[in-house]
Amino acid sequence: MSLGSSLRIALRALARNKLQTALTTIGMTIGVATVLTMIALGTGAEAAIEQQVRAAGMNLIVVTAGNYKTKTEDDGGGVVDHQAQLAPRLLAPRPQSLAPHLVLAAFHPEDDPMQKHDHPTARQRLGDTEAGLGAAATLTPADAEAIRGLRGVQFVSEGIHENVHAAAGNARWFTRLHGGDVELPSIRRSWTFTSGRFFTAREQSRRARVVVLGAFVAQKLFGDANAVGRTVQLWKQPFEVVGVVASGSWMVGASAGDDQFDAVYVPFTTIHELLNLSKLTDITITAASTGDVTRVSRDVTALLRERHHIGMKDPDDFTVATQARQSLARGGLRPDVARAVVGNVGGLEKVTLEQLGRTLDRATRTMTALLGAIAAVSLLVGGIGIMNIMLLSVTERTREIGIRRAVGARAGDVLRQFLVEAIALSVFGGLAGIALGAAASGAIAQMLRWSTSLSPASIALSFAVAAAVGVFFGYYPARQASRLDPIDSLRYE
Amino acid sequence: MPLLRVRDLVKTYQVGDVAVRALRGVTVDVAAGEFVAVVGPSGSGKSTFMHILGCLDRPTSGEYRLEDRDVSRLSDDELSAIRNRQIGFVFQGFNLLARTSAAENVELPLLYGPDRVSAAERRRRALAALDAVGLADRATHHPNQLSGGQQQRVAIARALLNNPSILFADEPTGNLDSRTSVEVMEIFQRLKNERGITIVLITHEQQVAEYGSRIIAFKDGQIVSDQANQRQRLAVGELALLPTG
Repeated sequence: MSLGSSLRIALRALARNKLQTALTTIGMTIGVATVLTMIALGTGAEAAIEQQVRAAGMNLIVVTAGNYKTKTEDDGGGVVDHQAQLAPRLLAPRPQSLAPHLVLAAFHPEDDPMQKHDHPTARQRLGDTEAGLGAAATLTPADAEAIRGLRGVQFVSEGIHENVHAAAGNARWFTRLHGGDVELPSIRRSWTFTSGRFFTAREQSRRARVVVLGAFVAQKLFGDANAVGRTVQLWKQPFEVVGVVASGSWMVGASAGDDQFDAVYVPFTTIHELLNLSKLTDITITAASTGDVTRVSRDVTALLRERHHIGMKDPDDFTVATQARQSLARGGLRPDVARAVVGNVGGLEKVTLEQLGRTLDRATRTMTALLGAIAAVSLLVGGIGIMNIMLLSVTERTREIGIRRAVGARAGDVLRQFLVEAIALSVFGGLAGIALGAAASGAIAQMLRWSTSLSPASIALSFAVAAAVGVFFGYYPARQASRLDPIDSLRYE
Repeated sequence: MPLLRVRDLVKTYQVGDVAVRALRGVTVDVAAGEFVAVVGPSGSGKSTFMHILGCLDRPTSGEYRLEDRDVSRLSDDELSAIRNRQIGFVFQGFNLLARTSAAENVELPLLYGPDRVSAAERRRRALAALDAVGLADRATHHPNQLSGGQQQRVAIARALLNNPSILFADEPTGNLDSRTSVEVMEIFQRLKNERGITIVLITHEQQVAEYGSRIIAFKDGQIVSDQANQRQRLAVGELALLPTG
């Protein structure tokens, strides 16, 4: 008998008792829906955690100029962390003859005592510590450019930070000014622009007087009016407002004194020109992969040591820090994820990204295992339901089996007929389950803000699982049917 | 060369601890084109005899050759193929598939045949077979919409679909009134005369057996008499005399 005929006979048999068919498939529907939701949640969770981790800055590396923590050899030859014992102190500046960038910096125009400035000079701002000459000024834009070339580095932003009076009309607000790179919004993933945009590469290269306001500053200076296109005075220089940036996270709002939204952003090139500076306070880097942070920070350290001509035994003149711990503490992570991490890792100080990744992975696996158990039980119950109804069907249709055998159906034909019927039953349930699972994943994504992903592969897998359950639980009844004696079947009342 | 050659056929059933000897050594030959009526009281073994001849069952011992082929030791699949191509069955209870149209019932053997027959061809041949038994206009009716006689004629059309050489009829008139019984017998006699089909009719009624050209009587699992029927009833003539309706 052809497969088409088998299928047609099976569908007709199922159509004869629609209610029974529908009820039988419910178990399968739930099972397959759970399988699909499980896969969707599992893959979605991975993506979600990765995204959360990035948004929280888990792939963030910050290189700060200067080194406030230095290791020296003690009498015993061991390495001792002096920070714990000694008051923090600045590392002495390196001999200028060995550092060309410091030699150049010695001729900073701001240092000309005859020069008149329309802004506070570095000397005025920083007191006795000479701007660009202190230990805290060892990073250059060229360093940042070199870091951009490293493998595994995703985004790099030069950073220079000042305090500034921002003024618009009569409104004044004392705030933070961040000189940054155009890539900064890619690093601060939780940013959204309530109006306007970030400054462009062109504006950056032309050292344009443009400024992006943090939402809090915009509120202070312009109230609810649109700030874009207005002018803000920084150091008495007019800057055009090109955008207003706010927090895209529902958990973090703009508040006075916060570093991101009670702040203004200007191209670092503009700041360099305006303030006659050539150094950077820090360089912010993101690693392309969260798991790669440790390696990238190591590479950055090696690169900068080489560029700064630091000898083997000399300490770094910069500090490389990853942001995992700070981010956790700040609450940039979803509270439940952060709780899971904190709860599972003894000693928050020791959290490494690898540990963090493992912990998140474990949390995901726990949930997947739970859903997997539900799916397995549903599929088992659904499969037994199918087996039950098929056994009943074989008994009910004993006479039909006898008739078919009498006109020449082989035992194998009968087996195939009932097996196809069981698979059809199972696949119907599976299709309904795929629809239900897709709906459930969508609903979960909506309600829990947990991203889910439905791939064609997972749908195909669910379908295959349904068919496999049909084969597994349909085989026994089908074999029973095929083994019936033709004469007994014909006589069956 | 007889069509059916049966030698010392024995069939023993095991029912619990008791061995029931349904056939106790049956030897018979049936030539092609015969209309054999097998009579006997219930329990005489005539149904068991038919089941073995019809390849629905296998003998405990003895030899059964169908068209010179020893079928008593064939596999289940080979027996199925013989039932499909060489044998047609007509039963007392009609044995039509419920909730399935007459035409679909008739085309059933084609589903299990060796050749893949298209749905259109199956339908064409089913309609032709129904036409031969006078039911062309009932093709789409379901069995519960047909009278007993009509159902039996659908069953005959089904039995004949693959042009078998033998037709086994197990009490075909048992559920029918006298007129439709005669109608069915008329069809059998016509098939024998026009197509040369061998018919083995199982019945417990002597009057029905008399439509056969040869009558074999069974008792206690053995043949007690086997002779040509000198006074064969002719259904055509009887039908003309019976009042219609």
